[in-house]
Amino acid sequence: MTGLRALLRGVSVMSRDKSDTLLLLGSTLLVLIPHSLHLPVWVSLLCLATLSWRALITLGGRRMPSSILVLPLAGAAMLGVLQTYHTILGKDPGVAMLVMLVAFKMLEMHARRDLFVVVFLCFFLTLTNFFYSQTIGMGLMTGLAVLALLTTQLSFQYAGRVPPLRRRVGTAAMVLALAAPLALVMFVVFPRVQGPLWGMPSDARASRTGLSDDMSPGNVSSLAQSEAVVFRAHFNGATPEQPRLYWRAIVLGHFDGRTWTRTAAGTPNGSPGAPVLALRGPALHYDITLEPLNTRWLYALDMPRRAPDLGANPARMSPEVELSSAAAVDMRLRYDAVSYLDYTYQGGTDLPDAARWLQLPPGANPRTLAAGQALVQQGDPLARVQTVLRRFRSEPFVYTLEPPLLGANPVDQFLFGTRAGFCEHYSSAFVVLMRAAGVPARVVTGYQGGETNPVDGYLTVRQSDAHAWAEVWLSQRGWVRVDPTAAVAPERIQRSLASAIPPRAPFGIDGLGELINFSTNRDGWLAQLRYHLSAVNNGWNQWVLNYTPDRQRNLVRSLTTGLFNWRSAGLLAASALLLWSAYLLRVRRRSDPIDALYSALCKRLAQQGAPRRLDEGPTAYAARLASANFPPARHQAIAAFLRHYSAYRYGPGAPAPHLYTTMKSLLAQCR
Amino acid sequence: MAGSLMKGARARAQSWLFRPGKLEAGEVFLHRRRIYILPNKAGVAFALLLLVLLIGSINYTLGLGFGLTFLAGAIGVVDMVLTYRNLAHLYLRSTRVPDVFAGEEARVELLVTNRSRRDRFALRVDFPTSAAGKSQGIAHTIDVPAGESSAVRLALAADKRGVLQAPRVRILTRFPLGLFTSWCYWAPDAQVIVYPAPEAVPAPLPMAGRPGDLAGGGPGNDDFAGIRNYQPGDPLRHMAWRQIARLDLKLGGTLATKQFEGGARHDVVLDFHQLPASLDVELRLARMTRWVLEAERRALPYAFRLGALSLAAGNGPAHQATCLRALALFGLPPSTQGAAR
Repeated sequence: MTGLRALLRGVSVMSRDKSDTLLLLGSTLLVLIPHSLHLPVWVSLLCLATLSWRALITLGGRRMPSSILVLPLAGAAMLGVLQTYHTILGKDPGVAMLVMLVAFKMLEMHARRDLFVVVFLCFFLTLTNFFYSQTIGMGLMTGLAVLALLTTQLSFQYAGRVPPLRRRVGTAAMVLALAAPLALVMFVVFPRVQGPLWGMPSDARASRTGLSDDMSPGNVSSLAQSEAVVFRAHFNGATPEQPRLYWRAIVLGHFDGRTWTRTAAGTPNGSPGAPVLALRGPALHYDITLEPLNTRWLYALDMPRRAPDLGANPARMSPEVELSSAAAVDMRLRYDAVSYLDYTYQGGTDLPDAARWLQLPPGANPRTLAAGQALVQQGDPLARVQTVLRRFRSEPFVYTLEPPLLGANPVDQFLFGTRAGFCEHYSSAFVVLMRAAGVPARVVTGYQGGETNPVDGYLTVRQSDAHAWAEVWLSQRGWVRVDPTAAVAPERIQRSLASAIPPRAPFGIDGLGELINFSTNRDGWLAQLRYHLSAVNNGWNQWVLNYTPDRQRNLVRSLTTGLFNWRSAGLLAASALLLWSAYLLRVRRRSDPIDALYSALCKRLAQQGAPRRLDEGPTAYAARLASANFPPARHQAIAAFLRHYSAYRYGPGAPAPHLYTTMKSLLAQCR
Repeated sequence: MAGSLMKGARARAQSWLFRPGKLEAGEVFLHRRRIYILPNKAGVAFALLLLVLLIGSINYTLGLGFGLTFLAGAIGVVDMVLTYRNLAHLYLRSTRVPDVFAGEEARVELLVTNRSRRDRFALRVDFPTSAAGKSQGIAHTIDVPAGESSAVRLALAADKRGVLQAPRVRILTRFPLGLFTSWCYWAPDAQVIVYPAPEAVPAPLPMAGRPGDLAGGGPGNDDFAGIRNYQPGDPLRHMAWRQIARLDLKLGGTLATKQFEGGARHDVVLDFHQLPASLDVELRLARMTRWVLEAERRALPYAFRLGALSLAAGNGPAHQATCLRALALFGLPPSTQGAAR
């Protein structure tokens, strides 16, 4: 800290050029630091080295390297980018090139114009940061970088006296503070266009982990480790209790012995185009803000009424009640949805495409098939379901995130061997058993539960809430959701995954888990802090990052109805007029304060019986006053005052410093 | 051809836009109507940057990118207002410009006063390039702290004798961020009287009566003849300091001057018409100028005759100034003379 202060003091006494250049280096560094999070290490190090080289040149007062040295270096760096990314097109290599361009530009800055080039490039680089992160932290960092850039730009503009750095930062902060409200207004009302304007390079959005279109042992449990947010939901009204929060996404019907996939995309004959849904009970209205996962799946609570309205990217609902959008969701998406917790889905006595839901790979998992066929003896399909669930409950099945690896015939191995698994094992085994027992069944994947934030009421669903359950079709009752995991680990459904699985000691240290893992404790101050942070983050997502054309239209509509009626328009106009006239009054011409002192003196002397004649200037007046009957002290004061005044008015050169105070005190002596 | 046409059109556009108005006497207030402001090259580049930022934000739907774009745009707007405010509401005044000889540089002193509470920085004051493309003088850059005045002395080449009107002054600023240029024009009512350049090779002073006395050189008027009241124009070295010291000016005392006699015999008479008419007028004026300076240097009283002007023998700065001014303005149309104060 003291070292920094000493450095700052050193900067303040060094020459103007040096301190300006160091300031520019500092703000460039501030812009480049966030980039180091995604750039290859060698690029970051090279930039750091280049900037340090420039700083050393500045501090040592040495000459800049010649372009014969710099150009090959820059060329080599560009080749390095090509080597690293195997292309120079696209977002990542483009950003890397730009970063190095700025760094090398530092080594050949000569004219003032170059300053603007660097500052403007830095502004652009700040924008490219947002490709990688748009968190609040990044926003704050950006604000800091802009402040530094403004200070630099400002510092280069001084011509004579340069105020200390603190004052310059203050001026830049003032510019920023004045700009902020204007920027906010523009942010809200500037017409938004839905991007993209042209086809983006394929790497524009990195794909992220999420539910995949298939399910095999291990791929849901791999999600369980991820705290990444999938979506946030907000209910108009009370949030349903935890065990009823089944967020439906994908229905898997085809099994190859190991992996579940969706049934062939082309709907088989007999399958109706739309699901036959009979919805009952109160409708749940809620909105969902989906994170950009680069998939087409949309999530809704079991059972949604219809596909949400997404505008340009139409959504559809498959006969299996899977919601999806026409194009992958590559930006944060907000949609309204309506669901009913109480429903009958394809009720009736006949399932037209039952064959699809009874498919089993011949020969695979023979023991399971045999066990399933044994169930057929129990006449009622519902009884078969209950038998299997009872079995899961009574036999020593274990719910674990780290099940043993399964070889060939994984279902057999799981049911009769390891008996330890995650939801995908249970749902898969259950569905195979059901199909073998002649009950149409399928696997449904999605998310279960979520965490309600008491601060803003939003329910956050994370990747760790990923879940797989089953649906069986029963005559009259239609498709019925059965969650075999609930039979094994009811607390997973009742509360959350973390409560169902004992926390592992982080880094192998016992007790550390309690310290770090505060997510289960809702009352600790850390948890409270986390909820608040999460609420702020959600607000940020809702209003800053996801301020879409739609949202803008709604806001403007509500503003126009609420604000812009005749009365408020009149009020606004009147206050604008008032402010304007206040401004005009304030800037009216101020009379010369020295002139004002002169007239004050003349007035005072007139009261004392020696008024100035209209044709008299200050010198003639002074000469006449010399013979007036005043005490000597007053004589002296008057003479000095008038001498000052005529020198100020008619003499050459700038007025003496402190002239006003001098003359004012002289005036005071003239009484 | 096209170039000169362009130049002509440009000059006409300039004169229409910026109205080279009348001279402005006294203090001038920079009202907002007098102030021009336009983005400069850096500002145009900044506008392009804003466009790129906006397109990037739209294309990649970067919410925070929109924030940065609008923040940068707002910074541009704020800079515009601040640049204007860095110039507006200043007070300008020119002080009296000392007379110069032709060939010298006149120093036009301008006073910029800041009666607001904001410091003003980096104001560039210059005589703008005239329509003919000729740059006049060097620009000066000044700061004017709140409540203070700063003086700028702009050099102005005085080539010809006569009255030199100070050209229009431009005050220009790009502060604080350099994206906008704000400027104003001001035609100060400031004239310089330019005396003729003295003749380089001096001719001998014309002595009335005793032309051979030149070699004497020294004060020939050293016969003390008494004391009289001081009259403006009496040389300082003739002041009767001993007498002055005895009297209290405040009690009605007056200044006194020693009077000399005998000097009259050596009186120098500088008469324009005595010079041979074959000489060029300017050369004759140059010679007269040299003689005035020479006589003044040697403290010789000299009578001065030029056209209708005839001055009795005299001496001292005021006498010299009267003579030199007459020489400066000789034969010039009265309209230009009227401008001279």
